Amino acid sequence: MNVLIILAIMLCMSMVMIGGKKGAISFLSLFINFLVLLFTVFMMANPDNNALVWVIIACFIISCVNLFFINGINSTTIAAFVSTVITMIVLLFFIYFMTDLTMISGFGEEEVDELSMFSLYIGISFVELAAVVIIISTIGAITDIAISITSPMREVYFHNPGISRSELIHAGFAIGRDLLGTSTNTLFFAFFGSYLGLLIWFKDLSYSLGDIVNSKIFAAEMITILCAGIGIALVIPISSWITAYLLTRVRVLR
Amino acid sequence: MKPLFKNTTAIQLYLYAALLLSFIGSIFFINFNYGFYDQPIVKITEAEITETRELTDMYGNEDALYTQQLEGEIRNGEHKGEGIKLENEYSLSGANDHEYRVGQDLFVVIDGAAEDGTVLSGTIDNVKRDKYILAMTWIFVFVLLIIGKKQGFYSIVSLALNAVILSYALDVYVRTENASLLLIAGVSVLLFTITSLLLVNGFNDKTYTAIVSTILGVFVALLLAFFAIWTSGGNGLNYEEMQFLSRPYEVVFMAGLFIGSLGAVMDVGITMSASIFTLYEKNPNISIQSMKKSGIDIGKDIMGTMANILFFVYISGSIPMLLLYLSNGADWPFTFSINLSLEIARALAGGLGIVLTIPIGIYTSIFFIKRKKAVQ
Repeated sequence: MNVLIILAIMLCMSMVMIGGKKGAISFLSLFINFLVLLFTVFMMANPDNNALVWVIIACFIISCVNLFFINGINSTTIAAFVSTVITMIVLLFFIYFMTDLTMISGFGEEEVDELSMFSLYIGISFVELAAVVIIISTIGAITDIAISITSPMREVYFHNPGISRSELIHAGFAIGRDLLGTSTNTLFFAFFGSYLGLLIWFKDLSYSLGDIVNSKIFAAEMITILCAGIGIALVIPISSWITAYLLTRVRVLR
Repeated sequence: MKPLFKNTTAIQLYLYAALLLSFIGSIFFINFNYGFYDQPIVKITEAEITETRELTDMYGNEDALYTQQLEGEIRNGEHKGEGIKLENEYSLSGANDHEYRVGQDLFVVIDGAAEDGTVLSGTIDNVKRDKYILAMTWIFVFVLLIIGKKQGFYSIVSLALNAVILSYALDVYVRTENASLLLIAGVSVLLFTITSLLLVNGFNDKTYTAIVSTILGVFVALLLAFFAIWTSGGNGLNYEEMQFLSRPYEVVFMAGLFIGSLGAVMDVGITMSASIFTLYEKNPNISIQSMKKSGIDIGKDIMGTMANILFFVYISGSIPMLLLYLSNGADWPFTFSINLSLEIARALAGGLGIVLTIPIGIYTSIFFIKRKKAVQ
């Protein structure tokens, strides 16, 4: 038996046992997201396709799956969807600029030794790929915070229909701030876990602080963690503003 | 300036001042720290592309190679202030090379005098990235502080504290002979959970409950992952592509899995305990049955998105490697089994931790609430 199949069956069973129908949908969403990601990689493998355009398309589909498929289409998920997409696009420009500036794209010198059998001149821009990696790593967290802000904001609005737009924005900020700590932790530990081998490697080979800080691999991991944190923070004002705008716009129209 | 200083206490003013000072100090230091490095650093003053060459590799991938002549000034060491000529070759795709621009700092190896004898010549070794890392760290700190205020501050403190704990734990691991990485990771997980949850949520019953359920959750997830690997004999996990290994790979993988799922499990643990305690505080006579039901309802809503968070963090890092394999003529099944098996296993095991922490969180909260009732 394959480890992945056993783990997948265990995960599927526990999700269905605990979550019922919604658990089954959650498991299915993981599977669909995996297929979306594979499709995106497939499209990016063609050098004529711009990786940045395809990552935006992928973010679009993934947030549709995470929001509409898991939670259904309603005003809350639509607000969360708009916020997610806007945050992703803003973040993408910032990340692309940073990866280009810091030259963290491509493989580090420690990695290249193992890649000697590959042709590295594959015509796909690795600067764009570096930005793609960072943006994809945050998409799950950003949709999560967006929906966690918009959904209670709608509750606030329904319980106080007379609330002003700025008060509503304020409420959104307060909800978002409470999520900030746990969400950043979720990402940080996930990254710590993935980079554990690298950190032990640095210690084993007694890299000096200067070597570590200037090495491409460490810089890339550090920039990824920091960009993810910035993304999580940015989605708070963006979803608060958009949700407040969408909720109060209906009132203005009436 | 009025709104900024309204409601600010003396402590906050000191904090702002300390922040501003360390910001200015560190930016100043990082731009003039050339003397701290032994290796010569060159600041590029001129960059010119002298040659362009189209190229097609054996798999039909089209790329272009450029040769760049660089001139710069050495910033440290015995040749400080002298000029130097460097040559750089880079490709359009840039898998292992970069185009350098005027103003960038590079670590070089000095080879001696250039052909015409007027200046030195050298070979480029690495880019000086420390100032970018620092600038990025400050952007992160300011964004979190401006948007998150107090909570943003605690997130930064928690990240820094956990990074220090991790670094110290790895130091202990590397220095101690025959140390068990899993044991050290286990102790670190305990410390991570306690510090992070206390920082996020303060000293109260909800936090204690969350700490207990988080630790139970990650241990159960780890046990199940062990079980899955044991029953299948590790079949399906390809460790070949695991990079940067100086230690036995299985242990590094398991410890990474352990720590990696912790944040998500903590998130679920605190969500469950906070919501169940809130239900109890609003209505102290609430039945255990309805607490369980509300707990499950909340759990259902969060498990899908939480599992997706971990999935994307783990899988995203493999994208460049997948593309390199595919462009080098490898077929899809081989590429995926080689590059994705560990990441998928991690994501699935983390997901298992998330889902199982829902009932664990519910029962732990009920246990603490019952005890509280009994004391009263």
